[in-house]
Amino acid sequence: MASALPPNVSEKTFQKALDAFSGVVGKQWVLATDEDRTTYMDIYAAGDADQHLPSAAVGPQSAEEVQAVVRIANEYKIPLWPISRGKNLGYGAAAPCMSGTVVLDLGRMKRILDVNERFGYCLIEPGVGFYDLFNYLQEHKIPLWMSVPANAWGSVAGNALERGYGYTPYGENTRNICGMEVVLPTGEFVRTGTGAMANSQCWQLFKYGYGPSWDQMFVQSNFGIVTKLGMWLMPEPEATLGLNMQLPEPDDVGWAIDVLQPLRLNGVLEQNPSIGNSIRSVASRSQRSEWYQGDGAMPDDVLRGLLKKFNLGWWGVNLRLYGYDEVNEAHAKIIQAAFAKHTKQEFEVVKWHRGDPIENSGAGVPSTSVLQAVNWRGGRGGHVGFSPVLPASSEHVLKQFHSTRKRYEEIGVDYFGSFTLFDRYVTNVNMMIYDRDNAALTARVRALFKALVTDAAKEGYSEYRTHLSYMDEVALSFDFNNHALLRLNEAVKDALDPNGILAPGKQGIWPRALRKARA
Amino acid sequence: MKATMSTPLPGCMANLLAIVVAFAFFAAGVGVVRGAAAQEKPATDSAQKIEEGGKLFRARCGYCHLAGGTGTYMLGRRLGQDRALLDSRTDLTAEYIKKIVRVGINSMPPHTRIEVPDSELDLIAIYLTRPASARPSAAANRSQP
Repeated sequence: MASALPPNVSEKTFQKALDAFSGVVGKQWVLATDEDRTTYMDIYAAGDADQHLPSAAVGPQSAEEVQAVVRIANEYKIPLWPISRGKNLGYGAAAPCMSGTVVLDLGRMKRILDVNERFGYCLIEPGVGFYDLFNYLQEHKIPLWMSVPANAWGSVAGNALERGYGYTPYGENTRNICGMEVVLPTGEFVRTGTGAMANSQCWQLFKYGYGPSWDQMFVQSNFGIVTKLGMWLMPEPEATLGLNMQLPEPDDVGWAIDVLQPLRLNGVLEQNPSIGNSIRSVASRSQRSEWYQGDGAMPDDVLRGLLKKFNLGWWGVNLRLYGYDEVNEAHAKIIQAAFAKHTKQEFEVVKWHRGDPIENSGAGVPSTSVLQAVNWRGGRGGHVGFSPVLPASSEHVLKQFHSTRKRYEEIGVDYFGSFTLFDRYVTNVNMMIYDRDNAALTARVRALFKALVTDAAKEGYSEYRTHLSYMDEVALSFDFNNHALLRLNEAVKDALDPNGILAPGKQGIWPRALRKARA
Repeated sequence: MKATMSTPLPGCMANLLAIVVAFAFFAAGVGVVRGAAAQEKPATDSAQKIEEGGKLFRARCGYCHLAGGTGTYMLGRRLGQDRALLDSRTDLTAEYIKKIVRVGINSMPPHTRIEVPDSELDLIAIYLTRPASARPSAAANRSQP
C-alpha cells in the first residue's frame, strides 16, 4: 500500500513518535508494517480506500496508556483516530478520515468492569464486543438483555458512540449511555455525570450530574477518547410475542408506518421494528448472478419472480412485544386490529416464555449472518450505507423511498432499503452492495451516494451516520445560520484540542490548522 | 439491515445455534479437543497448544466459522459443503491460514494483530492443522470396541 505520513510531520519525527509510543505500550503493540496498515484500511471501501490511509496503529491496554499516548501525540503533533473494535462496517470500518492518521486501537481494553442486575447496567471498556458481553451475561446467568445491531461483530461501546441501534425496547443504544470516563485531547482524565464525584454511588444510575451534561458531546465527535462507558441493560421480560408479516407491494410500507407510529409513540409497541425490502433475504441465501446477469439495477420483474420463488413479500415486517404475557397478548390484539384495516393477511405469531431457548426470544443475540448479503455481487464484496432520518409518516417515507429507488435504478445499483421505526422518526438505511474489484460498479455507487446526500438535504433530511468519505458533505448540509453548528463544534474543538491531534475530520469537524483539508 | 425473522433462513437459525454451541464450549469448559487429548495422550505441550488453539479459534473466528456462520455459509457455496467448516478441514496449512487472516479473502476482511495477535494466530493454526489423531472422529472411532 502507499505510505502516508501525518500532514507536516517528517519521516524522522514520525519514527520518533512511534518509538515513544512503543515505550508506553510495548513495541509489539505499535503496528506499522505495510501488512499492518492494510488491516486498518476501510475493508469494504467502494474504490476510495486510498483517501483514508492509516500511517500506523497503536494498541494501549489501559486508560493510563491512552493518556500517555495522547500526550506523546501532542508533543509530536501526530493525529490519532480512536477505534473500539474497528467494525464500523459500511461507514469506513477501522480507517481514519484523514490519511496519515495513526489508528488508536482500543481493542485490547476489553474488561467488563461491572454488571449490576438489580439496576440493569454494565460498565465496560471500549474493546468489549457484543459476543463478549452476551457470553458474560449467559455464563453468569444474569437476566439482563442487550440491544444488538444486525451485525454484532463490533464493540458495544463503539456502536453506542456511533449512534448504532438494535431492535429491543432498549434499541436506541446511545440513549442507554450513562456515565463515561474520557481522556481529553490534551491527555486529561474526566468522568461525566455523577462520576465526576470521586466517590459517586450513582455513576451508572443518573445520567445528568450537576450542571451541563456532557455524555452526548463525546458521541460521534472528536472531543475525547472514551475509555469506560456505562450502559443500561434491559431486564429479561417474562415473555415476548413476535408478529411477523410479509407485505406484498412497495407502497405498503407507507400505511404500515402510519399504523405503527402511533402505537410506538403510545407504548403499545416498545421496540424499534425494521421494515426491510426482501431482496436482503434473497441476498443472504444466494448470489445475484444466479438470478440476473445484467449490469444495471435488477429489473422489477426479475425481483418479483425471486420473491415469489422464496415466498417473500416486497417488505418484511417483524414486530416484537416484550413484558408480561397478558399485556403482550392485549397489545398484540390492538396491533392485529390496526393492521386488519389495511390487509386481509394475518400475522405469524411467535411466542417465547422465560426458560425457552433464547434464540427464539427477541433478545439481543449476537449474529453476523447479515454479512452474507455482502456476497451478493460476488468477488471481494463490500457495502456502504446511506442513512437519512425522516419523520415517521407515509408522506415522508414514501416520498423518500420512491426518490431513492429511482436514483438506484437510474444509476444502476440494486436497491436494498429498510425503514426502522422509532417513537417519532424512522431511520432509512440504504445499502449499496458491490464487488470491490468492479471499478465501474464502485464508481456508480459513489455517484449514487453523492446524489442521495444532495437529494436528502434538499428535502430537509439529515443522515444519522455516514461513511468517512462523506463526512464533510453531510456536515455542510447542516447549514442553518451559515453553518452555525459546525462553527460551534469547531470552536469547541479548538478549545479542547489546541494541537488538533484527535480524529481530524470526524463528522466534518476539523481542527484550525487543518480546516483547509475540508473537501 | 436486519435479518428477516418472519422467514427464518436456515443459515440464520443455524447461526444462532452456532452461537449457543460456541458459548457452551466456554461455559462448560470442555471441547472436542480436550476430550480427544485425554483419550490419546499426545505430547502434553502440543495437546495443550491444540486445546488452547481450539478455544481461540472459537473465540476469534467463531463469529463466522462455526456451523451456520457466515464464513461457513460462504465457503460452502464456494467450495462445497465438505469444505465449509474450517474446524473439519484437513487440507489447510498453517502458512495459508496465517496469510488469509492477515490479508483477507473474498468477503472475509483482514484481521489486525491486535484483534488476533501473532501468538494467538500461531495456536489457531496449530489447532486447525492438528493431526487426525487429535480429531474427535478418530478418537471416537478408536474408543469403540
